[in-house]
Amino acid sequence: MKKRRPLFLPVAALLFLAACGGAPAATNSPTTASGTTSQAAATSAETAPPAAMSAPAATMAAVTSAPAATMTEAATMAAAATTAAPAATSASAGGAPGAAVTINFITIDDPDLLLAQQAVAQAFSKSDPKYANVTINFQSVPFEQLFPKIESAVASGANIDMFLADAPDVKHYAYNKAIIPLQDYYTADELKQWTPGSVAEGSFKGVFYAPPSMESCSLMFYNKDMTDAAGLQPPAKVQGWTMQEALAAWKKTTLDKNGTGTPTQWGVRWGQGTYQGDYEAGIIRRSAGKKGSPTNMGIAPDGVTFHGYLDTPEAIKSFEDYRSWHRGATPVTPAEPINNIFFNKQSAFVVYPDNAIGTINRLYPNGDFHYGVTGIPYYADGTQLCHGGSWHFGVSPRTANKDISVAIAKFFGGPEGSRIWYSKVHQLPARYDLLASLPEYNKYPQQLFNEGLKTIEVPRIETPGYTEYQSIFGELMQSIVAEGTVDVPSLVKDAATKMEAALAKYKGWNQ
Amino acid sequence: MHTLRWQHVTGGCMAQIVNTPSYVKDVAASEGLMSQRRRRTIIAFLFILPALVNFTVFRYLPIIASFRTSLYQYSLLGGYGSFIGFQHYARLIHDPVFWKSLSVTTRFVIYKVPIQIVLSLGLAMLVQRETFGAGVVRSAILTPMVTSIIILSILWAMMYHSQLGLIQSILGIFGIPHLSILSNPNRALPAITVMMIWKDLGFSMIILLAGLKGIPGEYYDAALVDGANKWQAFIHITIPLLKPVLMFVIVTQTVFSFQVFVPVYQMTKGGPLDSTKAIVYYIYQQGFSYQDMGYASALAMVTLVLLLVISYFQMRFLRAEA
Repeated sequence: MKKRRPLFLPVAALLFLAACGGAPAATNSPTTASGTTSQAAATSAETAPPAAMSAPAATMAAVTSAPAATMTEAATMAAAATTAAPAATSASAGGAPGAAVTINFITIDDPDLLLAQQAVAQAFSKSDPKYANVTINFQSVPFEQLFPKIESAVASGANIDMFLADAPDVKHYAYNKAIIPLQDYYTADELKQWTPGSVAEGSFKGVFYAPPSMESCSLMFYNKDMTDAAGLQPPAKVQGWTMQEALAAWKKTTLDKNGTGTPTQWGVRWGQGTYQGDYEAGIIRRSAGKKGSPTNMGIAPDGVTFHGYLDTPEAIKSFEDYRSWHRGATPVTPAEPINNIFFNKQSAFVVYPDNAIGTINRLYPNGDFHYGVTGIPYYADGTQLCHGGSWHFGVSPRTANKDISVAIAKFFGGPEGSRIWYSKVHQLPARYDLLASLPEYNKYPQQLFNEGLKTIEVPRIETPGYTEYQSIFGELMQSIVAEGTVDVPSLVKDAATKMEAALAKYKGWNQ
Repeated sequence: MHTLRWQHVTGGCMAQIVNTPSYVKDVAASEGLMSQRRRRTIIAFLFILPALVNFTVFRYLPIIASFRTSLYQYSLLGGYGSFIGFQHYARLIHDPVFWKSLSVTTRFVIYKVPIQIVLSLGLAMLVQRETFGAGVVRSAILTPMVTSIIILSILWAMMYHSQLGLIQSILGIFGIPHLSILSNPNRALPAITVMMIWKDLGFSMIILLAGLKGIPGEYYDAALVDGANKWQAFIHITIPLLKPVLMFVIVTQTVFSFQVFVPVYQMTKGGPLDSTKAIVYYIYQQGFSYQDMGYASALAMVTLVLLLVISYFQMRFLRAEA
């Protein structure tokens, strides 16, 4: 017994160490709630028998990410995915065609998009027997976390195969080699099936990287019951109201029914969600400039200079207007954003792309939300415009399943994938063939979006530093609507300086 | 000696050297003790080895890597660029947002830690007696501590909302009009501070409660006999005997508060007008939003040094006081 003691201790210590060895790895998992669950699911899928585990992994992602309103539909899809799992049991392991493979896909935490992605993923599995055992594990994160999540996943060599890329970010990923080029997988004719703007946004230096799903153009939706009550009749055409006319309508529909000094019904919400990002809020400053002017361009052709573009007198005036909508004597929009304010019938107008139609249909399936669409407001002495572009499908350079990932990207951006996607999201398709086949885009209200895309759409500013720009722009907009004394011109000039400092590293990127 | 060494090898058991001369016994005993002590040391070392490995791999090595990164142009996707020495450190000296974030963080710590300590000490004294309902009160105070900070941040942001918030409704009962809280640069930081005090109160209370329970009742009995009132007993018995525990709570809460991030990220994004831009949020922003991980690393290194200095002086001061 005595002789065994010295041996016992090192053995016990080794066992103890071995037992502790797994703990630190667990601390490296993503910090967000949905990310953690999805990652855990992905890990299970990797370590357990693939066929048995991959479908539940997808199930977890779908159910965890979907909000309560979409749970039923998401659960149905998840159940379908689970039902499909036994088919994978007979598949052989490895990367050969027909094998059970899990593709990890980082995406945005948006109920409509999640439903669309799940539906297209199922269709992909059925599209070819060799993909029957492919499971796509969607890992969803909020919009603001999407870029950092993709960035850290690629940089750390995490097991990520694909990601959903916001159109202006494709250039950043391409610049940093965080996305693989797909030019060789498409013929010139195939590229012509999408709108030129979509192809341009999915490209970098003339090389195509990421197929698009949708196009977009934000117009102004209105709650017909509220505008009728106010005696307003917004024009049913793309060239709608000027800013002045719109402001008068917003004021008229801002109501304080309780007499508390705080409106119970607001005039407008300019943009989706609660974030004051460039996609919608950035339109205002660019609209203040005449077509082709520095204000209208929004950034210098070098893609890194903002002084003289962001802080022109007319742009500063537009930022001051933006503040007055929130903090003026008669505010028309809440200074602290309210989530889903338009869909919850708390505001009369909203500036939004046409996917609002999908959301309204989902939330009000009985059709008891009466809405209309008019053009996006614009400065009379400036330009009417909407920002184009939408989501693209990127393939990570870290993928161990390149062929399958490329096939998924092609399918998602292809005729069938786009059609399914559209059936869930109801947003302008990027594909001409699909757009031509949809009769609703030839009649009001969706016709306006089709027209808007052709007549007033401009791409967002082109720079590989779009994320840095948008981060500073979002801060600027938040500061502009702060309570108290705010020196708008100084804030704008300061923001331009910060943007240039943050983007200095990209100097010469487009030469 | 030969016998002795052999016995040592076989285990150094005292019972086996009973018949040897006394001086040999002494030496053997001391060697046996040494051996036992060494064994204990080894065992203790083996027990802390996993923690040491954990700290080395996940704390110290990243600190070294971070210092190295701070000397380069570095972004997550772009990787290491050119070596620039201490340029990032020179840059932060002239960076007004860095100084602002440092000021915000310092104010947050100054607002939060003293109030939290006083409140948690008061609560600890209140619930230390096993009276009816004390367990329920303790659990209620501890609940925020075990709740996810991200969830709490979302809930409090909703409660603070200028139009829909619960707090606005309560203020409304007293005829106070709706206030902008998180969008007001003067109110946003105090609002986050209040939430974080509420969240962390349970942690400091439970530590202080343990400290209070460790003070023998005889001291208070003796003080009572000597005619001391409750306040005098608190000042001359409770506080001095609680000082080591207080020191622990103050140091840990200062360090934790200095690292505030989640509520800032979730509730205000550092705004408005940088009024809640705490240093750790600024580091995150530089690294992940502005793609400047080299500068973010330099900021992290400076923050680390600041924390070490603050902790050192806090401990020194409180030890001297004790």
